[in-house]
Amino acid sequence: MNKVLEEKKTVAIFVLPALTLYILFVLIPIIYSIFLSFYQTDLMNKQKFIGLKNYINLMNDKFFIKAVKNNLLLVVGSLIAHLPLALFFGNALFKKIWGSKFFQSVFFLPSVICGAGVGLLFNMVYNSQFGLVNSLLDFLHLSGWKHAWLSEEKTVMLALIVVVMWKFVGYHMIIQLAAMKAIPQSLFESARIDGASNSQQFFHITLPLIRHVIKIDIILIITGSLKYFDLIWSMTKGGPNHASEVMATYMYYQGFRTLKFGYASAIGAIMLAMSMFIIWLVNHIIKTEKIEF
Amino acid sequence: MRKKTDLGTVIKYISLSVFAVCCLYPIVWLFLNSFKDNKDLFANPWGLPVTYHFDNYIRAITKGSIGQSFVNSIIITVAAVFIAVLLGSMVSYGIARLRFKYSLFVKSLFLIGLSIPAYAAIVPLFSMFNGMKLLDSYTSVIIAQVVFAFPITVFILEGFFSTLPAELEEAAVMDGCTAIGTYFKIITPVAKPSIVTVAVIDFINIWNDLLFPQIFLSSEKKMPLPVALTSFADLDSVDYTGMLAAVVLTIIPTVFVYMILHDKIMDGMTAGAVKG
Repeated sequence: MNKVLEEKKTVAIFVLPALTLYILFVLIPIIYSIFLSFYQTDLMNKQKFIGLKNYINLMNDKFFIKAVKNNLLLVVGSLIAHLPLALFFGNALFKKIWGSKFFQSVFFLPSVICGAGVGLLFNMVYNSQFGLVNSLLDFLHLSGWKHAWLSEEKTVMLALIVVVMWKFVGYHMIIQLAAMKAIPQSLFESARIDGASNSQQFFHITLPLIRHVIKIDIILIITGSLKYFDLIWSMTKGGPNHASEVMATYMYYQGFRTLKFGYASAIGAIMLAMSMFIIWLVNHIIKTEKIEF
Repeated sequence: MRKKTDLGTVIKYISLSVFAVCCLYPIVWLFLNSFKDNKDLFANPWGLPVTYHFDNYIRAITKGSIGQSFVNSIIITVAAVFIAVLLGSMVSYGIARLRFKYSLFVKSLFLIGLSIPAYAAIVPLFSMFNGMKLLDSYTSVIIAQVVFAFPITVFILEGFFSTLPAELEEAAVMDGCTAIGTYFKIITPVAKPSIVTVAVIDFINIWNDLLFPQIFLSSEKKMPLPVALTSFADLDSVDYTGMLAAVVLTIIPTVFVYMILHDKIMDGMTAGAVKG
């Protein structure tokens, strides 16, 4: 028995095809990308080693700085918007209530819809002539608040954060809810017998026991917010005047529009480093252990 | 006491309903307005269409080349999901059940991929496909989609395979089955629910992806839906109703699959966080 499962040939047949493809098209490109970030290259003929110059130039590139700031704005906005709402709705649906399944399915629906489709849909929702937002403001006699939401530098990021919320709150809610469902009901029962109110149960039982998943979710929210592309590309392409530029759109622009591939690789390397740093940081700040019930 | 709980329940239901309307209404609005003409859309953005204009869909399919793109999306997605699930499930089985020295190392290589942004690999991939003369072919997009689908595929399936009892294979191997035979005859039928979950998650991710096709493809007639949508929007920015129809056509397959398999999809898409 053991022999068959240990045979080198068997192992090779199962493991090597996927592993080879994965090393060739994921791991090597990532290492090669870091290498390219020290070069000035159009990937064709000229390739010149320039050391840290790409990184130094990025630090002085005001559009890149703007992109990083926008990513950080999305990180903070998403943390403030997703987590409390996800916890609130997760907790509301966690107790067996009528319609729980229906609400879960509806809340999660936006996360399966393609980002480009969502982007174009919200282009229309924000349209200054027939869009839902402006006609709602008209209806509420608040016409003074009307904006061309996506084409004004001041409003574009706010408008984008709302779309991000629409698409992702349900996703994070299902994560929190799944964690809550794993808590044994007996804990709540004995708390109820001791006279604990709903909010006491939430803050003293639910919240401490799902800390581990909240931590992972925080990492997901932050790393997710660092790599938005589809939504923003299909809504604003980073405009107007780079006001909604994020790292991913700027990298695409520098690499595949102006063919500065070394420069684009440096942006990719910074995105990678930021993701890794944040995972490390959150793991260090929030110390949790996975609780098995 | 009794009254207080009732008030809490009312508030709970009101907030749940408000949020449900926020989630659903834009999609309903999209669907209804895809049947209006531009005049009707401007005059009455909230209401039902005065007359139903199916020609929006015809315009989207022909002029916006959504028809051709739909076929492209199907080709790319079906091929990529099939390869990702076949090779991904085999490597997951290898890691979980076969005994070799570096299985933990191999597993961690795949799991690192869960936190790597695809952007960090995109320039070298472009350069490699260029060198292999694969740019502007379905193959380039399919390869990229497959390898970036591996981490979540391996994460979910490796987790499942490692819970199976050892007797399962023992009996088969005693009967003289080869490892491959055991895998396809004994293991995959047992693993079917998990394999379906993974296939659906990979399908949604690949169907929805804009980045890889946008970068690796250049001819209009090979573009899958997300790219065709954005170029339709750039090309004909005033045909609003045609665009709404195009968006409806793009999201129908994923919404349809979601309606049938929502429990599996919710479990699978959140597994990375919940089981982490």
